[in-house]
Amino acid sequence: MKNSKPYPYPPLARRLFGVWFRHMRVYTKNIFSNGLPPFLEPLIFLAGVGLGLGKYITQSMEGLTYIEFLGTGLLMTAAMFTASFECTFGTFIRMEFEKVYDGMLAAPITANNLIIGEIIWAGTKGFFFSFAVLCVLTCFGIISLPRGLLAPFIGFFTGLMFSVMALLVTSFVRTINHFNFYFSGFISPMFFFSGVVFPISNLPAYIRPFAEIIPLTHSVRLTRAVCAGQYNMYLLLDMLYIIAFILVIGFFAVKRLKKRLVF
Amino acid sequence: MTQFAITVKDISKSFGKVNAVRDLSFEVEADTCYGFLGPNGAGKTTMMKMLYGKCTRGENGSINVLGYDPASDELAIKYLSGVVPQDNNLDDELDVISNLMVYSRFYALPRKAATSRIDYLLGFMELSDKRTARIRELSGGMQRRLIIARALMNNPKLLILDEPTTGLDPQVRHLIWDKLRQLKRHGTTILITTHYMEEAFALCDTILIMDKGAGMLRGSPAELLAKNVEKHVLEITGSHSLEAIADGAILQKLRIDRTQETTRVYCDDDQLLRSLTGRLEGAHYFLRQTNLEDVFLKATGRALNEKQ
Repeated sequence: MKNSKPYPYPPLARRLFGVWFRHMRVYTKNIFSNGLPPFLEPLIFLAGVGLGLGKYITQSMEGLTYIEFLGTGLLMTAAMFTASFECTFGTFIRMEFEKVYDGMLAAPITANNLIIGEIIWAGTKGFFFSFAVLCVLTCFGIISLPRGLLAPFIGFFTGLMFSVMALLVTSFVRTINHFNFYFSGFISPMFFFSGVVFPISNLPAYIRPFAEIIPLTHSVRLTRAVCAGQYNMYLLLDMLYIIAFILVIGFFAVKRLKKRLVF
Repeated sequence: MTQFAITVKDISKSFGKVNAVRDLSFEVEADTCYGFLGPNGAGKTTMMKMLYGKCTRGENGSINVLGYDPASDELAIKYLSGVVPQDNNLDDELDVISNLMVYSRFYALPRKAATSRIDYLLGFMELSDKRTARIRELSGGMQRRLIIARALMNNPKLLILDEPTTGLDPQVRHLIWDKLRQLKRHGTTILITTHYMEEAFALCDTILIMDKGAGMLRGSPAELLAKNVEKHVLEITGSHSLEAIADGAILQKLRIDRTQETTRVYCDDDQLLRSLTGRLEGAHYFLRQTNLEDVFLKATGRALNEKQ
């Protein structure tokens, strides 16, 4: 049989959109249980700091009050956690337990399309979770608005960074319990050593280079600069780091995970 | 000239040290139903997955599906085919209609066209009253029908089904067979794997019996029976000594297949078999025409392999 039409299938953008749309539909199906916690979590965090811990911390950090300092950090940790969960446990369950990917790969979607769609979706969740934190911070007057609106976009890129990292880890994992190592060995330390809860300049000199290597540091620095409206040339390095991280880790993540899907 | 929907030449595939498919070649004529029959681990599923790019293939050989090579044009093949995988893989979190709507996006069907197509498919698979049901509320048979409906989303030229009726009750099985016959009549080429001999007999124009990754026998169901197995079989339950009832001259005309509890005596001459039954005092026996199962057991052997 010969077919004359050279490309009788949807173009790349439509294929990626198809994957994204699937995730969106599943996520919004339980809009209440999925949509509310991103708003509650920062609320609880800020309440804890504002009502209790904050009283003990009177020193300003990088020119910000403690609640401003922590709040701008939380914009990014929210994106980090959601993208990390989505592309570790979420991806693993879809791949191994629910077999959702097998169904999707029978449609005109390649394994690469599927994985990249997954990454874009994790970025979208990063955007949404940052946005939720932004709403809470704005309500409490911790952030002033027009400037803060850029934060969810950085959240998007933070989501991309942590999804490619998570997918790379997922490509190695054989049983779902192994993710515990990733979360307690990599994600949790990230929370403390990337300038979210205290400035990295307060870290001992020998740990500081380590803080510069890990991805969250760069997202947090960018976000604070954007929220405070204090730009400098070094931020370009942070942006460069983020782009390079996504491309390099993403390349290996796609390559390795593809072998789990098509073998 | 005969048109082939699928042409496979000398394909092999191994996973580590396991040779899943060995040097397999076959051709599927357009608008026919082709069946893979074989024990578990025979390589049926692997061969099917290689057709739509879910499995990579070994270095040698060639595959052509609907005019495309899956190694370079996976997307075109997937766009023109529908796949019903062995495991149910619906989105549990979505209801019936959302499952299909999400899937229609993969083919970039416009919303309106998708809606009417989905209405038609739910009607076709007799699921119209389950539109808003959650997947977990569906019986196994309904889930299977929904997966077939999903595979038909883009009006495929080729429908690939991996054990579509395993574990279903006879009513659902017959309903699915009916639908598949209808599809074939309207110009869909069907490739199916099954363990059920009667399913292969009922649906397939051509059957390929596979074992250990290789093709053992092929032909139409009638041909397979005529060429490969005697016309009749006498099944005797219990341990009976055949030698006691049949002398050497008769034994030469018989093919005997023994398991622990059953002896099967194959012969073209049913009169001869009938005369033997007279001497089987008190034994349980059953004289019948041979069927595909006899061909299958003869071709693939009785011993279990490590995957069964």
